[in-house]
Amino acid sequence: MKFWIDRRSLSVLAFSACMGFALPSFGSPSSAQEGEKKEEEKKKEEKKDEWFAVLNGDVYTGTGAVLRGATVLSKNGVIESIGHDVEVPTEAKTLDAAGLRVYPGLVAINSAGLFGNTGGDFADSVDPYNQRMTLALASGITTAGQSNVALKLKRREIKGVVLRERYLATLSFTNSNPQGKREMNERFERAARYLREYREWEEKKRDNKDLKEPAASGVDSTVRSILEGRVLARFNASNREDLLEIARLAQRFGFRPVIDGCIEGWTVADELGRAGAYAVITPRDRRDKEEQLVRDGGSSIENAAILHRSGVQVCVIPSTTGVDLGGIAGRDILHLPIEAGFAVRGGLTDQAALESITIVPARLLGVSHRVGSLEKGKDCDLIVLDGDVMHYQSLVQYTVVEGKLVYDKSQELFYAHIRPRPSTQLAPEERKDKGEAEEPKEGAEAKPEEAPKEGDETKPDDPPKDPPKDG
Amino acid sequence: MTILTTLLALAPVLTGPVDPSGGLVAIKVGRAETVSHGPIDHAVILVDNGKIVEIGADLPVARGIPVIERPEWVVMPGLVSCYTRLGVESRAGQEFNPEASPTPEIDPRHPDYKEALEAGVTTLGLYPPGTGVPGHAAALRPKGKAIGDMVVDEDAYLKVYFRANSASKKLVRDAWTKVDEYDDKVKKAKEKWEKDNKSKGSDKKEEEKKEGEAKAEEKKDDKKTFVPPEADPKVKPFVQVRDGELGMLVSITQAADWAHWLDAIGERKFDYALRVVMTREIDIYEVTEEIGKRGVRLVMEPQITLVPGTMRQRNLAMEFATAGAKIAFKPRNDTIQDHVAWRRHVGEIVGAGLARDAALRGLTLEPAAVLGLDKQLGSLEKGKTANLLFLSGDPLEPTTNVEAVMLDGEFVFGEVKE
Repeated sequence: MKFWIDRRSLSVLAFSACMGFALPSFGSPSSAQEGEKKEEEKKKEEKKDEWFAVLNGDVYTGTGAVLRGATVLSKNGVIESIGHDVEVPTEAKTLDAAGLRVYPGLVAINSAGLFGNTGGDFADSVDPYNQRMTLALASGITTAGQSNVALKLKRREIKGVVLRERYLATLSFTNSNPQGKREMNERFERAARYLREYREWEEKKRDNKDLKEPAASGVDSTVRSILEGRVLARFNASNREDLLEIARLAQRFGFRPVIDGCIEGWTVADELGRAGAYAVITPRDRRDKEEQLVRDGGSSIENAAILHRSGVQVCVIPSTTGVDLGGIAGRDILHLPIEAGFAVRGGLTDQAALESITIVPARLLGVSHRVGSLEKGKDCDLIVLDGDVMHYQSLVQYTVVEGKLVYDKSQELFYAHIRPRPSTQLAPEERKDKGEAEEPKEGAEAKPEEAPKEGDETKPDDPPKDPPKDG
Repeated sequence: MTILTTLLALAPVLTGPVDPSGGLVAIKVGRAETVSHGPIDHAVILVDNGKIVEIGADLPVARGIPVIERPEWVVMPGLVSCYTRLGVESRAGQEFNPEASPTPEIDPRHPDYKEALEAGVTTLGLYPPGTGVPGHAAALRPKGKAIGDMVVDEDAYLKVYFRANSASKKLVRDAWTKVDEYDDKVKKAKEKWEKDNKSKGSDKKEEEKKEGEAKAEEKKDDKKTFVPPEADPKVKPFVQVRDGELGMLVSITQAADWAHWLDAIGERKFDYALRVVMTREIDIYEVTEEIGKRGVRLVMEPQITLVPGTMRQRNLAMEFATAGAKIAFKPRNDTIQDHVAWRRHVGEIVGAGLARDAALRGLTLEPAAVLGLDKQLGSLEKGKTANLLFLSGDPLEPTTNVEAVMLDGEFVFGEVKE
């Protein structure tokens, strides 16, 4: 068994090559029984392993380099390798992304309605066929938070949708409610004291076993788990004064706050940065400065850029988290990358802007070990676009979730007709006009559509090619 | 030849004018849509004692048997509306009531039953109202002075109302867990019983000589005499479904319901039909292949639906039939008007591409199968109940009228003279 696994990890090619042979021919070491076992193992793996490869794309890994013309190989939904010299098993389903860009699937920290009319019991009520999920996949979103649950947009599948629950704890801490603020302060003090006492007790316990455990009564369990680092504290704040208070609270008790809104964050960016804050912002949010105040205030398009420069991790979310198809460059969840584009307009770097819609929200949802960037060992959730992800003219051509093609623009009723993809991967200027005489299609085999056809599972099943079906 | 002899043999028994209230009668029509064996031109149907005795093309009829000759008529099996609340109120019911039956609600004098019969609907499947597992459906004939006269089968199928949510899934999972618990109980009871029995046997010392044979016999005896403990009335219907004694009809409204239904039942294997509510923008076409692959029987309205968010039409009945599912139609609504227009509505679906024979099956044999009555009803075959619908032309043409209706060998509508 070991031999088998070692062999395969050494070279994927070797794996695919030996598929056809009986295992003992490779010099199985001992008894026939063992050989049988291996045979069974092999059969199991043959059945189980699902390979998927995205070839020749410009791979924007999100947290690392940009690899031009590289391959992303997925095994059973997890990224096996990324690079230029990846050996792709012959049985792998492939997707040719030559001339296209490959990004990690986008992560929306908040969303509404993408999983159907659910009542919070997502695992038992997700609607993986609902249209809003398709629309979200078409805009590049592969993971989204809803009701404080991190969910994967697994189209046509109901298994494994819930990634993580309740990673964010929303707290209220604002100057407009002084009493609530004072109480919150006390809760933090009590929890901190308790944790300190508990730690002391743990140390002293070694010498004196009869020592009593400190009483946990009266300690706020939410605050306690925040201080223990098990959940993140989320505040809704946009005023400069509130932001400063939150930064102080966070620094005093040593936790990293997540700040929703954060419109005036740019005026206190240094303090927020020192507190290790995360900011969930909407770059197009507008607020007037309070004229009677001398200090800086109001919204700024540079907010994201300034916060980022000060060390705040910026997460971007549009102002409406549902699907709402009003207007061009709208403000709903489908325009997540465009919203990040507005942060770029305010001076945020491209890299930070990409992070603001991928790895940073993944961290805030507590799922950055699985999604948010293209790395070996993470889920193979990626999107293939015909341009920069944040450019308003770019279109998502393919969306892959856990190594399965779940969205192919050319097959979608609502999208296929919009700027149809050229039938070959030639750049637009190299294509021939319709009027010109047609040559025998040499490039037909290289069609990007060809590859995914091998897998009927991954194929959307209402191809617009077949109009009589739809009447 | 055998037919001829049967007819001759029967001949002396009954002679004289047509007796419209049952009795032996031969009916000659232009065409018979048998549903199960395709159409028969110049068909002769011999009916006796409420059953179809013989059917065939140009059968010779012995002298003395009353003959109704209507070469311009087309005959087909009486329509079966297997999922309806015709004649009873719609109301919400209990969450989990698998033993309940809707029969006490029936008012035999309700005018809808008469009208339905006159429209050719000879069997009704009355389902219990409500969500969850609201109870049993009952199969009725829409004629009778008392409820007892109407009921054909009190346990037609178990209705399950399933939606993609944790409450529905829990209901289904719990029901099956209880079946498992019951099975354990039976197993234990049986083991105990066997033990008792064996000890008795050894006392008598009778089986000592031929141990092997004796044991085998003993086991056989066990099976004969062992009476399993009675299941709880809430569990029993599910046990019956598992054992194939009772059908199950699962109501769903969208593709996601189907996915969650599969998840809820897990690896269990039992027969069920699906009631798919044809809402205007239903997305069930997403799982057509999956459902078709399993050969599931679907109860659906003859309705053209739209692709969500568009005006693109889909003929889901056709898509499902092509994919391998069996289609049982139900009238679009539980109103009498929709029962009357039912044939025409199915005709529209045929016009939009559904195969004709699938449509005729969908009106008769398939809904009969949903009720578990496909052995008795739903097609023109020897030995089946003589529920006949006589039409002025093709059953699916909108201009075709009902000429006569026969229920259990008795003309209940239409002017019939020899």
